[in-house]
Amino acid sequence: MRKAAAKSLQLVLITSVLASCAQHQARQGNEGEQRVFMRADSTAAYTEVTDHYAQERSGMGMGNAFLWYMAFRHLGGGFGYANNSLHPQSIAGTNAGKAAAYQAQRGGFGRSAASAPRSSYGS
Amino acid sequence: MQIKKLRIDPQWQPRLESIGYGYHTTDGIPYWIDDYYYEISNREADLIYKATNELWQLCLDAVEFIIKKRRYAHFHIPPFMIPHIERSWEQDDPAIYGRFDLAYDKDRGELKMLEFNADTPTSLFETGIVQWYWKNHYFPELTDQFNSIHEQLIQSWTVIKPYLKGSTLHFSCAKETLEDLTNVEYLRDTALQAGIQTKLIYVDDIGWTGNGFVDLEDTPIRSIFKLYPWEWLAREEFGKHIVNDPNRAQWIEPSWKMLLSNKMILPILWELFPNHPHLLASYVERPAHLNHFVKKPILAREGASIAMYYDKQLIYHTEGEYGEEGYIYQELAKLHREATGFSVIGSWIIGQESCGISFRESDMPITTDKSRFIPHIIRH
Repeated sequence: MRKAAAKSLQLVLITSVLASCAQHQARQGNEGEQRVFMRADSTAAYTEVTDHYAQERSGMGMGNAFLWYMAFRHLGGGFGYANNSLHPQSIAGTNAGKAAAYQAQRGGFGRSAASAPRSSYGS
Repeated sequence: MQIKKLRIDPQWQPRLESIGYGYHTTDGIPYWIDDYYYEISNREADLIYKATNELWQLCLDAVEFIIKKRRYAHFHIPPFMIPHIERSWEQDDPAIYGRFDLAYDKDRGELKMLEFNADTPTSLFETGIVQWYWKNHYFPELTDQFNSIHEQLIQSWTVIKPYLKGSTLHFSCAKETLEDLTNVEYLRDTALQAGIQTKLIYVDDIGWTGNGFVDLEDTPIRSIFKLYPWEWLAREEFGKHIVNDPNRAQWIEPSWKMLLSNKMILPILWELFPNHPHLLASYVERPAHLNHFVKKPILAREGASIAMYYDKQLIYHTEGEYGEEGYIYQELAKLHREATGFSVIGSWIIGQESCGISFRESDMPITTDKSRFIPHIIRH
């Protein structure tokens, strides 16, 4: 019977996430550092994506797939940088970096949660 | 089983936050209770353990029955999902967890199943980790707790690992919910400790290429744990891709859990096992003899849209937008009551075995998202 509890519990992930949050706050005081903020649509708050940018940007000044995705993804209902009335190719044009961000359709899950925000979607 | 009081630790909030628990309070009202707790006896812990394992077996038998007899009517599952459900059952696709909500009548020593949160149960982190740290803080020695959730999760992932498809198990939940993210990250933590390679992706960011689901780096998703209701996945834009997916991605919990997370399972259990000591009488249509009962939507979350009747008169109800798919009628259970409120026992089944409990307490006899979490110890 597995009724009685253990011993010493070890948490790998959650502890490290908290540790990185603390470092993130400390770093905000570094004025000389280049910081990158983005938002997904005109109604959203800006989010700092410096870490993504700094870790993965190429030397070609194009940013990475994450940034292109955030900047050019299609959001339904005409919100965001691109709307559904435009074909993705019309936005990507001949830019291979932009086109790569359209290889997969996204946003096909999650609408039920977005339409009725709650503190949890569990039970 | 009874409530006991403690002198509150003035540092209880930072103490909880130091272990990664950030949703202990909602709108200024504590969700986590630190200064009182349930003390249960060894005999009561044994009773819950035995009842939970037994109920799990009844549920598995009920799924087998529904699939064999094609009793899908009333479940309101989209027809295109049925073959997927049947395949996931026949292939024995891995399931990791579930939580039974139980009513305990102390005077009669009876435990009754109120419902089974089989698809997206939450409060796992506070049950497995937070209340264990709470116990060690207030009762550092010679006290036990019905809680082997952490070890059972790691062991279950270890067992499941060889049966996962692909080299990476993705973990997913909706954006902007700290509670769900904490639960998912805790599960991912235990999977990592079982040696599984993992990645986190929000459900909104899952991509579809026409040849399968992909993550944000366009890596194919072959196995994915999701803390997101199956009934929502199925009705959303990508829902039909789940059944047309050339990779046949492995979803955890598997789609056969749609049969158990739906309240329609309650009348079927009663039909299959009438008068079982851990079941409440439940019906699709309310019989004339049922005077004290609860009307529950077959698909609802966190105690929403529930109506409670005594002598056929409405005595309590909760607001909510659920009920479109229909209702079931369940015999009214006697909930354990203390001066602080009504309590329901959340009893976890992980990897086929009962392994831990939580208590949720409410001012009224319906458990909702506002219900308080109460830790416990076993009295020796």
